[in-house]
Amino acid sequence: MAENVAASGSNDDDGIREQDQLLPIANVGRIMKQVLPPNAKISKEAKETMQECVSEFISFVTSEASDKCRKERRKTVNGDDVCSALAALGFDDYAAPLRRYLNRYRELGGDNKAANQDKANNNSNSNEDKLEEQSSLKFRMIGSSKNSSMRPFD
Amino acid sequence: MRQAGSYSGILISGKTGPHLLPLARIKKIMKKSGDGVKMISGESPIVFSKACEMFIKELTQRSWMVTMQGKRRTLNKEDVASAVMATDLFDFLLNLVSEMDTSKSS
Repeated sequence: MAENVAASGSNDDDGIREQDQLLPIANVGRIMKQVLPPNAKISKEAKETMQECVSEFISFVTSEASDKCRKERRKTVNGDDVCSALAALGFDDYAAPLRRYLNRYRELGGDNKAANQDKANNNSNSNEDKLEEQSSLKFRMIGSSKNSSMRPFD
Repeated sequence: MRQAGSYSGILISGKTGPHLLPLARIKKIMKKSGDGVKMISGESPIVFSKACEMFIKELTQRSWMVTMQGKRRTLNKEDVASAVMATDLFDFLLNLVSEMDTSKSS
């Protein structure tokens, strides 16, 4: 009598989720190109594979971050959780620079809440000053050679 | 030989800075990660945007090494699969790459 009627949204495989959201192939391809020699070519399938890998990466790390939040009875996954999850899953090389990135983002006002508080305290200038100063930071990759068309954004 | 590793400087311009990847899409993918994911702070997709960039670069570099070993100049999906299999850190991708390559024909 235990008939397994497939209700809506039956997932018979654990691996592939058909309607996975993917990051745009153009953006992914562009990033790939940044680390390849100028005459390198990338097959369309390789870009598609990369898209899927990135989505999987996001899911993988988010699950870990979300688990941590649940254990600590917090509802919102924040940037620290993402960094901790990366470190926990072996991506230590990413976690350290990302923490610095996150801290700077927060210093600069981060989510609007902080910026509004600062305005209320007449400290809006300090954020703008920091923005000016930060925007002159150059983005350098160690050992990057030909493709370094990195400029500070104005 | 270039190595994926820590970056010496991080570009910040404005609060969020220019991002190579769309934040809204990242957020959607995060939300689909599982039932437990309810709320996501505004900064999380921003952190992920950078993390994904690093991830793509690392996987691409490793894949390219395989391409070069095959004396080719076109990076194909089998190269990506090989790189995944050769890297412990990317074990979480094993199912994905093996499922994609169901018809193995040389």
